Amino acid sequence: MKILLQGPEIIDSSSPFHQKIKNVLINNGRIAEIGDKSYAADRVIKAEGMKLSIGWFDLGTFVGDPGLEHKEDLESAARTAAAGGFTEIAMLPNTAPSVQSKNEVGYITRGNDNRLVQIHSLASVTKNNKGEELTEMIDLHEAGAVAFTDGLKPIWHTDIFLKSLQYLQKFNGLLIDHPEDIWLNMFGQMHEGINSTKLGLKGMPRIAEDIAVGKNLELLGYSGGRLHFSRLSSAKAIDLVRQAKKKMAVSCDIAVYQPLLDDSFLMDFDTNYKVNPPLREKADADALIKGLKDGTIDVISSGHTPHEDESKSLEFDQADPGMISLQTFGANLVTLSKSVDWDVLIEKVTVNPRKLLQLEIPKIEVEAKANLTLFDPTHLWTFNEKSNFSKSKNSPWLGREVTGKAMAVFNNGRHKIED
Amino acid sequence: MSKLSQKHLLGIKDITREDIELIFETADNFKDVINRPIKKVPSLRDVTIANVFFENSTRTRLSFELAQKRLSADTINFAASTSSVKKGETLLDTVNNILAMKVDMIVMRHASVGAPHFLAKHIKANIVNAGDGTHEHPTQALLDAFSIREKLGTVTGKKIAIIGDILHSRVALSNIFALQKLGAKVMVCGPPTLLPKFIGQLGIEVEFDVRKALQWCDVANVLRIQLERQHIKYFPSLREYSLYYGINKKMLDSLKKQIVIMHPGPINRGVELSSDAADSQHSIILDQVENGVAVRMAVLYLLAGAKG
Repeated sequence: MKILLQGPEIIDSSSPFHQKIKNVLINNGRIAEIGDKSYAADRVIKAEGMKLSIGWFDLGTFVGDPGLEHKEDLESAARTAAAGGFTEIAMLPNTAPSVQSKNEVGYITRGNDNRLVQIHSLASVTKNNKGEELTEMIDLHEAGAVAFTDGLKPIWHTDIFLKSLQYLQKFNGLLIDHPEDIWLNMFGQMHEGINSTKLGLKGMPRIAEDIAVGKNLELLGYSGGRLHFSRLSSAKAIDLVRQAKKKMAVSCDIAVYQPLLDDSFLMDFDTNYKVNPPLREKADADALIKGLKDGTIDVISSGHTPHEDESKSLEFDQADPGMISLQTFGANLVTLSKSVDWDVLIEKVTVNPRKLLQLEIPKIEVEAKANLTLFDPTHLWTFNEKSNFSKSKNSPWLGREVTGKAMAVFNNGRHKIED
Repeated sequence: MSKLSQKHLLGIKDITREDIELIFETADNFKDVINRPIKKVPSLRDVTIANVFFENSTRTRLSFELAQKRLSADTINFAASTSSVKKGETLLDTVNNILAMKVDMIVMRHASVGAPHFLAKHIKANIVNAGDGTHEHPTQALLDAFSIREKLGTVTGKKIAIIGDILHSRVALSNIFALQKLGAKVMVCGPPTLLPKFIGQLGIEVEFDVRKALQWCDVANVLRIQLERQHIKYFPSLREYSLYYGINKKMLDSLKKQIVIMHPGPINRGVELSSDAADSQHSIILDQVENGVAVRMAVLYLLAGAKG
């Protein structure tokens, strides 16, 4: 089948067509033509004003499969990711049991060669992500795990942290940490500040993140290895990474919604805004934007953390943290694009995460396999229970009009095109 | 009849100074009523109120119940520990079951911050927050301010020190909001670990030394150490707390001016307040209890009116 993308702007800094408006013909999963001609095709997608990039990659999607399938399973995650513009996701190991043997890795990644959305497996550093006992990381690596992390849990044990950094060096593996001082954050419900004080909620202070980042950078300096911090939120933490990048192999990401929201959204106890790390203050959001611009922040992840109603529609302190965010990712990028260039944003959701995980980077060139995302930054649509593909609906944007939508994704000879 | 700006009383944060003054004027009338030989008025006849207490309470529950009876409301009581509810029914299910019995108003105490706010989003009945975790306890703050107004003539311009475990106290937070709305100056005092780090940003004084706080204030509102809400160790021992933060009559007598002592109860005698101070002429602790009934009558009466 031949599909013609008519007139999108190509965003791929490694391509000679970067920032050029071209027609792109896809024939049976490969890029057949890139040029100005109107190639004959079975289907034509009018893509003027849209952005064509290599397929988006989410570094750190929560999928509860196996064990927590009622939140999100592999199939619903893939469907949701495709609708959000992603052709590949790296799934967090916070499943039940956690991803800690080659069985789980195999279960998650089987069929990847044939999927529209490939699901890569991040494996646990410690058994059941408890931070106490190392998993068999070499074996997990051999089975196809792309990096090691305890996902939404911090690797809190200093010596275990050090040992994992050292152990992973055998195969130059990447350690991903969700930095949090568990003692300072204990029972914490939201960012500690004037708003948590007014609400009488126990705060999660910035220093809980800053201390963990600082300490773990010291460990990285001591042991060597490669370290990535996921979902950073505090201004100081970004600055610590900025300084450390001058001498160490460290990288970081933020959740896409983090610079767009702050703790004032919690004042009427809407649990959809309860996330971890918590929404912080304007100054932190500004620092995240700065970090995106100057390259300190390598990757923008979705932060997709689905929870069923029974875990969210509750008294605030009993609700689980997290929001779904794969499908609103693009709309969030549109908001970010007011402060950060599109080229920079796209790089952080395409090339950079794949580089960190040492995965093949797709190309936009003739004969290349089509692993592509076509995004319309002006498309107005309503994110509601009907358009939502996730099994969960814990999003503050649910029921709201948003701007920006992925109109098509292509990968492995498959595609999904918005009607 | 004047009306409150809100359908619920979820917190002092959400109501206006005019609301508070209206509640006080209404409470003045009810205080007369409860001091008459016939203490009952028919104002809330045919109104059914459920007292739903997910956390232990003696005086607040009694005070609400008495206020309801004095207003001729029909009342039902539900008490359960949050933990037993957690295992089975959700809060919303529990309350909807109660509402299915045709209840007009819910008075709720709950261990979770924001529980009444959560409920307000889901049900139609009026809700009175009788304490939500470490957040607010609005009727306590109203009766405290009402008692200060009664004792000193006005709250405006007065200096009120709130002393003790501010971090775990819903009374403190509601008091701060109420007193500020009424134009009082507020100070909080306690061990630094029991004062929220950002509390000063509310525009209040912060003091670690109880003697200095007593010298500064016109009224000392002494709070209980909330050991049941402290899941983490915040200070070494009750002994040290009582030595350095406890208030006794000798301290009060050494002050240059006579100050008023308040306490929301129950008092840990000999910890935050010695018996000779609690029972001294400085204390208006029992007036607070009496005023509690009048203020709660006013709140219930006004919310029932707000319904129509």
